[in-house]
Amino acid sequence: MDTALFTPKEAPLFNSNQQRNVKEAMEMQSINQPQNSHTSTSISSDSIELPSASGKWAPRLLLECARAISENDSGKIHLLLWRLNELASPYGDCDQKLASYFLQALFCKATDSGQRCYETLAAVAEKRHSFDSARKLILKFQEVSPWMTFGHVASNGAILEAFEGETKLHIIDISNTLCTQWPILLEALATRNDETPHLKLTVVDTASTVRSVVMNEVGQRMQKFARLMGVPFEFNVISGLYHLGELTKEGLGVQEDEAIAVNCIGALRKVEVEERGAIIRMFQSLRPRVVTVVEEEADFSSSRDDFVKCFEECLKFYTLYFEMLEESFFPTSNDRLTLERECSRNIVRVLACDDGNGTEGDSERRERGSQWSERLKEAFSPVGFTDDVMDDVKSLLKRYRAGWGLLLPQGDRESGIHLTWKEEPLVWASAWKP
Amino acid sequence: MLENMAEEELPNGFVQNTIAESNPPVANKKKRSLPGTPDPEAEVIALSPKTLMATNRFLCEICGKGFQRDQNLQLHRRGHNLPWKLKLRSVKEPRKRVYVCPEKTCVHHHPSRALGDLTGIKKHFCRKHGEKKWKCEKCSKRYAVQSDWKAHSKTCGTREYKCDCGTIFSRRDSFITHRAFCDALAEETARMNAVSNMNNAVAGNINHHFMGIPLGPNMAQHLPSIFKPNVSSDGIINPTTRELSLWTGQGSQGHEVMSTSNLQGIHQLGPCLGAMFADPFVSCANPPPSEYHLNLVFGTKLSSSSTEELSSTTSLPLSDVKETGTQLCVPSLYSTQHQSHQTPSANMSATALLQKAAQIGATSTEPSFLGSFRLKFNADSQVQDGNKLCGLYGSNTLITNIGNNAEESGGELSQIHPAKRRSTLNEDGAGGRTRDFLGVGVQPICHPSSINGWISS
Repeated sequence: MDTALFTPKEAPLFNSNQQRNVKEAMEMQSINQPQNSHTSTSISSDSIELPSASGKWAPRLLLECARAISENDSGKIHLLLWRLNELASPYGDCDQKLASYFLQALFCKATDSGQRCYETLAAVAEKRHSFDSARKLILKFQEVSPWMTFGHVASNGAILEAFEGETKLHIIDISNTLCTQWPILLEALATRNDETPHLKLTVVDTASTVRSVVMNEVGQRMQKFARLMGVPFEFNVISGLYHLGELTKEGLGVQEDEAIAVNCIGALRKVEVEERGAIIRMFQSLRPRVVTVVEEEADFSSSRDDFVKCFEECLKFYTLYFEMLEESFFPTSNDRLTLERECSRNIVRVLACDDGNGTEGDSERRERGSQWSERLKEAFSPVGFTDDVMDDVKSLLKRYRAGWGLLLPQGDRESGIHLTWKEEPLVWASAWKP
Repeated sequence: MLENMAEEELPNGFVQNTIAESNPPVANKKKRSLPGTPDPEAEVIALSPKTLMATNRFLCEICGKGFQRDQNLQLHRRGHNLPWKLKLRSVKEPRKRVYVCPEKTCVHHHPSRALGDLTGIKKHFCRKHGEKKWKCEKCSKRYAVQSDWKAHSKTCGTREYKCDCGTIFSRRDSFITHRAFCDALAEETARMNAVSNMNNAVAGNINHHFMGIPLGPNMAQHLPSIFKPNVSSDGIINPTTRELSLWTGQGSQGHEVMSTSNLQGIHQLGPCLGAMFADPFVSCANPPPSEYHLNLVFGTKLSSSSTEELSSTTSLPLSDVKETGTQLCVPSLYSTQHQSHQTPSANMSATALLQKAAQIGATSTEPSFLGSFRLKFNADSQVQDGNKLCGLYGSNTLITNIGNNAEESGGELSQIHPAKRRSTLNEDGAGGRTRDFLGVGVQPICHPSSINGWISS
């Protein structure tokens, strides 16, 4: 069995015993072919049919495997894992890729090696991570897809509105977008009709130390750029936090005369589910003018006790994401490959790792906009985006390829806007005030 | 008609002052005077906002019906069967009329800064003090005057931005974000320092001419005003000129195509530039302002050759462009904010900018945001830039001048970016082949590629 698929440096994850088992299972299967086997409940000739040219085989096989795992049906598990492995490839089409990355998670779940696998993947990624590579990747992604820029435009719009007339601005940025949101905002501030306000940007970085090297570089660029724009600017990075709950008003350097904005892009999902309420209350204590929250629209949290359901959600979301990547990037793009690999870590984390296992701020359990809204409504009230901001968002989407759309909140209980890809909502952007 | 009304004060707000009785000005070929410095002997008319914006200015004295145009009014009057005497309009040669802006806080409210054209004052009032009802679809930019909006819509999305590192962008937001992270940023800061003094000296004229290169540190704030029509307080200069100053023609993939489209672009620029140069406001007369945008024009041309080389060597960039073909639109994401706030800022004079510059202090390193465009500030280089000027007006010599200028600019570039070239050479084994005639590697630090600036690696 090809084990090099999973982790380049690890020992084969299937030991030789397991390999024999699989082989035996296959042989048994071929012997039993003429009659339906009764030894395993759902293995029939149907479930291991060859993938047809049409039809998406990956979701089907993957779900079958997930079910088998939740039922603890080891024979079936082995079979399906083997089958998937045969068909999967991170370099193939969408199905093959999904099969590849989800197979890894399934395997880790089955062998209870999720934590180790995740840490390995994270370590490998860290080694490859550099300012140049991160910058290149993120800028390229923003160029071909509005995935990130949607949230940026909406958030910047809300922040600028909330900061109207203020002269001392302090933005607390907890994002995963390496400050690519801020140049546009700096430019907008520089061109305000009144005195250009002073902006203090405090970036909270919950990742490991390697990343702080990158953040330093980012900070320098931001400072230079602000100087270029003629905006009085101050940049701070808070790193090495175990998790966001440790943030305090003093720790953030919040001063009384400042107008505060809290900007969370892809940040809240990194907080462990049980602690999310506390984090929101902490934001409230900062007394911000506006809190902007941008998250990916998927629910991995309410189903976290139900493996199959969570798996389904995960599969659905990442299928859309991978398809989106495939259509946005150039076919042989390395950048896309890198983004896909990042997903693999997240998938393993959500599906194969237990929560609260001591891994730093990287829960990855997404929630839908409506769920976040419920949480945020405890401390804040929603602010609608103004027409100007909405127009900006619409113009933004026009600058990209077809397929992207905008979904406005339906009904009173909803808040925030959604970015849709082929009519499916994928990213949620919202603004809140105390 | 209007003469008759001149004699009395009408309830609808016509109030007139007379500066001086005088001979009417020469009737043939009126020279355009400085914007906002009216003929001292002209009659100053102050209209109320309501009257100014009234669509039916021409009223029939018989029945009071209003018309938008004088010709329509005359046509109507014929229907009244007037006796011959009254049929003719008053013979008295109309005195030259100038108009003041009804807005008290406006600089043009004072008669000494009145504007000479009724249409002009209407547009001015709308732009500066009016509600911006017209909005560009692509970039959300707002305009108060419909003609400004139309003019913008024509060019929206066709602009190109070039970064120092050589990458070209069709989208402004991508350009800004890239610029902020570009390695070229550091070098730019150092270079701009050297010329900042000279720039400040000519800053006074920049605001009016808007050639697109901000000189003070807060000139950046005027940057987007490149894209807006109502940059200076005079209504005379066609807003399109400002837009076109950065407009370098359609993005294209081949040198040939680029040159034709640029030629067109330049021809279009020509008359506008002509207007600007004829305008004695540029009395300080330094080509620097004009150079900037000429350089912008050339900048893209120069880079186009590199694009061409790229296109021939790899097929990726072209197909990249095809795939991302919809990314044409350009202007500011926050243009609406700009627009709603820029009205006063455009009024901010150069002195205010310099004050800001002093205030920011350390920003004497003020690099122009658009420093990405090759700028030649030095007085010494005026000769070579003079070439460019000639190139502009003597349109046929355009292409050849590019060649000349390229040599010089190439030299300059090579001085400034020797480090970059070395590094790109190391990265790219085929270095020699992909250099353009500027002598600069086509693949600078930020790994640009096609028009859109991206190679999939």
